[in-house]
Amino acid sequence: MADVEIAMSAGAKRRGISFQRALPYLLSLPALLVCIGILIPFVTAIIYSLQRYNLAFPDSRAFIWFGNFVSLAKDPAFWHTVVVSLEYTALTVGVELLLGLGIALLLEKRNWVNDAISVLLILPLMVAPAIAALMWKLMTNPNFGVLSYLVSLAGVQDFKWGSSPDSAMFTVVLVDTWVYTPFITILLLAGLRALPKQPFEAAELDGVPRTFVFFRITLPMLTPYILTASLFRMLDSMQQFDIIYSMTQGGPGDTLTVFQVQAYLEAFSFSNIGRSAALVIVLWAITYALSTVFIKNWLKLRARAHGAT
Amino acid sequence: MSKGLLRRVIRGGLLLVVVLFFLFPMFWVLLMSFQTNQDILRTPPSLTFTPTISNYVALISGEIQTSVGTLPVYYMKNLWNSAFLSACAVAMSLVLGVPAAYAFARFKFRLGEDIAFTLLSFRFAPPILVLLPLQLYFQDIGLYDTYLGLVWVYQLITLPLILWIVRGYFEDISPDIEHAYRLDGHSWFRSMWKIAIPLARPGIAAAGLLAFIFAWNSFIFALVLGSSDVQPVTVGSLAFMTASGIQYGTIAASLVLSVIPTLVLALYTQRYLVEGLSLGAVKG
Amino acid sequence: MSSRKQKDLIEAYYQNKIGRRELIQRMAKIGVGAAATGFLLNATATRTLAAGGPDFKKFKGKSIKLLMNKHPYLDALVKNLDNFKSMTGLNVTYDVFPEDVYFDKVTTALASKGSQYDAFMTGAYQTWKYGPARQIVDLNQFIKDPKVTSASYNWNDVTTGLRASDAWDGKAGSELGGPGAKQWAIPWGFELNNIAYNKRILGELGIEPPKNLPDLIEKAAKVSAAGKGYYGVGVRGSRSWATIHPGFLSAYANYGQKDFVVKGGKLKPAMNTKESKEFHKMWIDMIQRGGPKNWPTYTWYEVGNDLGAGNSAMIFDADILGYFQNSGTKEAGNLVYLPFAANPSADKPTPNVWIWSLAMSQFSKMKEAAWFFIQWATGTENCTFGAVNADLVDPVRDSVWKVPEFQTRLEKSYPGYLNQFQKSIGQSKIYFTPQQLFPEFTTDWAAMLQQMYAKQIPVDEGLDKLAAGLERKLREVGI
Repeated sequence: MADVEIAMSAGAKRRGISFQRALPYLLSLPALLVCIGILIPFVTAIIYSLQRYNLAFPDSRAFIWFGNFVSLAKDPAFWHTVVVSLEYTALTVGVELLLGLGIALLLEKRNWVNDAISVLLILPLMVAPAIAALMWKLMTNPNFGVLSYLVSLAGVQDFKWGSSPDSAMFTVVLVDTWVYTPFITILLLAGLRALPKQPFEAAELDGVPRTFVFFRITLPMLTPYILTASLFRMLDSMQQFDIIYSMTQGGPGDTLTVFQVQAYLEAFSFSNIGRSAALVIVLWAITYALSTVFIKNWLKLRARAHGAT
Repeated sequence: MSKGLLRRVIRGGLLLVVVLFFLFPMFWVLLMSFQTNQDILRTPPSLTFTPTISNYVALISGEIQTSVGTLPVYYMKNLWNSAFLSACAVAMSLVLGVPAAYAFARFKFRLGEDIAFTLLSFRFAPPILVLLPLQLYFQDIGLYDTYLGLVWVYQLITLPLILWIVRGYFEDISPDIEHAYRLDGHSWFRSMWKIAIPLARPGIAAAGLLAFIFAWNSFIFALVLGSSDVQPVTVGSLAFMTASGIQYGTIAASLVLSVIPTLVLALYTQRYLVEGLSLGAVKG
Repeated sequence: MSSRKQKDLIEAYYQNKIGRRELIQRMAKIGVGAAATGFLLNATATRTLAAGGPDFKKFKGKSIKLLMNKHPYLDALVKNLDNFKSMTGLNVTYDVFPEDVYFDKVTTALASKGSQYDAFMTGAYQTWKYGPARQIVDLNQFIKDPKVTSASYNWNDVTTGLRASDAWDGKAGSELGGPGAKQWAIPWGFELNNIAYNKRILGELGIEPPKNLPDLIEKAAKVSAAGKGYYGVGVRGSRSWATIHPGFLSAYANYGQKDFVVKGGKLKPAMNTKESKEFHKMWIDMIQRGGPKNWPTYTWYEVGNDLGAGNSAMIFDADILGYFQNSGTKEAGNLVYLPFAANPSADKPTPNVWIWSLAMSQFSKMKEAAWFFIQWATGTENCTFGAVNADLVDPVRDSVWKVPEFQTRLEKSYPGYLNQFQKSIGQSKIYFTPQQLFPEFTTDWAAMLQQMYAKQIPVDEGLDKLAAGLERKLREVGI
């Protein structure tokens, strides 16, 4: 960690040490305050999750404490939601990480072709996921969709895309990959370009085989970047709403009823505020736990990397 | 064929596949935006068609011709809303987040890591968690249907991202230059403003661009917390699916238009992009 | 200025007692030329309702705001809105949202208890939540009050089944429109569900239009099997209430089946009876052999688009869906409309209906002014205008259907449309049992249909599971 010593200027000495102590708080607190403002809804949401609160039954609104959570735990559909959300997250993060790393490696060298491609590849990221899903829905339309047409040319007739339980997960993961892999790519590309030259030059001089270099030198040094990319992607995928809702609203059947899709339906279609709040609180708890694990590892790795300097 | 040439060919081939996968849909949508509905709905799809700019004309002029007559179109307003909201959200996050990132990077203070983690944890909040209560009392605090209210809620998306990336970049910059500057008698503020921030420009640009993209792509906040006046393009694009038929060509054109502002911004900041995302790099 | 005779003639015209041509003829007889008639028409249009009693200019200069769906009805309304503005002096603004997100927007707007929207478009099903949630106003108080409702409003002109379907007393299982029912919304435009078919495709294959459901299944399968790239019959399949509501429920009701029965004051799911299981098997069979390939993602748009683009031979869905596809599309001019009684032993169709209606927010600060708007929008003059000059179909008022211009317009460009309406309207109403958990149940039902279609679960077992699940949810909320 970059050790910092606060150099006291003459002026600071005059103003006194307390100002210096307060300074970092003063700098970071506005950000904190703004976000604390969002904390109030958070507390309110917790309160809702402890109530039986359905807008269509206004007279039966009451505190049932953990009733909603118990009801969720007893509901097989809820556990299905957990499984599907985790599955979706694992698939998207896994695929995008591998693909993103591969592309970053391909683009590592700086030349005009690679630079041009790096910029062009950000294009999918700029398309809103909800609109991307719409776009893919058009392309996979069995009648006039170009992708269905191309796939049929390759011999696969009537590929069901989002309409079949077997291919629905594949389809939404595909759209997610298309939209978000560029995010991972630029992050990892930045990492690759920022790596110091010495270890690689030394390895080349020593005649170390490329695979060894990759797995024993490149990857470990890239780990902080990989963790950052995975963290952000994991958070987004656990909370995925736009893509899945636009494509299938959670269907077919119960194939894609991930957390936020289900919570949205509960809140806005079924007006069951209490149950929806309970769902998102559970989601928040899961993401919190996963993120804590990630960040602890991230900090450890950074400390180790900087210590090695 | 030499090993080097083979490797280059494979590399080129793989790159080509990658580019095709990511750019083909954009290309197809671009094509669709110049077609009429009848052409688009042809089975099977074909590359030959008579191009028309009627879809773009409809969007920009604010009127569309359909089988039920001339209908108004509000897409340009949606574009403006998206641009305005995203830009303001990023600006606010930069003003709040860069000094905070500087604080976390330069000062070791008690609660430092805790505050940093708390700020990052706002990213974990599922939008619906925030929206359930906000939909009920955003009215009461007078922020419903205001740009200010939306920009504030957008901080959930933009602030943690900017904080996380810029902090890493600040930590990457050696504090020696700033020490020297301070010893010359300048205040911490001048040191931050004149030395650290310019040095961190790549990181700030990259973070700003990413934050802009994520803010631009958000859908649900504006839908719930605002009237028609503040709706961004993500909601506006859906307006071309009406009971009397879907205007595919117009949807495609709206998609193309929606990408342009972000693309312009990306081109402007692209030289900083890759450099700016290097976080806490190991110095050699 | 206009004499009494001229006034009477014009009012008769606006009450749909005489048609435009007759009006012009009789005006000419008393010495008023066609141009002058037109002038008088516009001037009087706003006075017809006004002549009926209430002080419509009471809120002159004030504003009301509407929340509207992006829909041809809205476009029809906007064309005529100036008349309302001049009648009342009210300033009318409206927010438009795309249909995909419209209902959710209404739900959140009402949940927020905000006063920014005074009136909005809705369907009957949504009022089954908004009503009990005390978010909308029971409009009976306005209809019956001569101080706010014009004598020429003619509430009884609105088709009986439609008036009833928008009224419910809030007790799960009560009959719609029964005694004690609250009028949660006023019908504005509606859709009934029948068959529209492409005569070109059926003609090419030498197939006659279907007579009942088993016949439809066989013919649809035949079309799909012809291998020409089109399929037999389009029906919706997305994971939402919109899949159960159109053709499905209409056919279901025709077979005498119900969604719920009332036993001992409580609701009991009834979709797992033997007959219902048979019906479901037939329906799924129809989709598998003659329906769209991507059925689970099919919404109103896909069903309509396929018909208009020549990808399907028939649809069993809203009549107006077929109506819109008959102009500006590839198959325009080839579509024919058919009344359809699914049950071979039934002699009349029993279409379920969707009624776009206008409702009033409980939190509005301009309730009376909002009522003036609702009254005018659903009044005879506006409905006639919309039907003849725009696309406010199907009109909810019996008199509008009798307007000669409207009939001519239909007969000329939409063969069979008038006939299918006349044969069906007597039995057209909402066949669902009203209860507050309507969205949950229909979503579960649609999801179960999807699972049965994908052969993830056999029909019998699936329906039993569905019924058990629904029963549990009913008990949880005490209905």
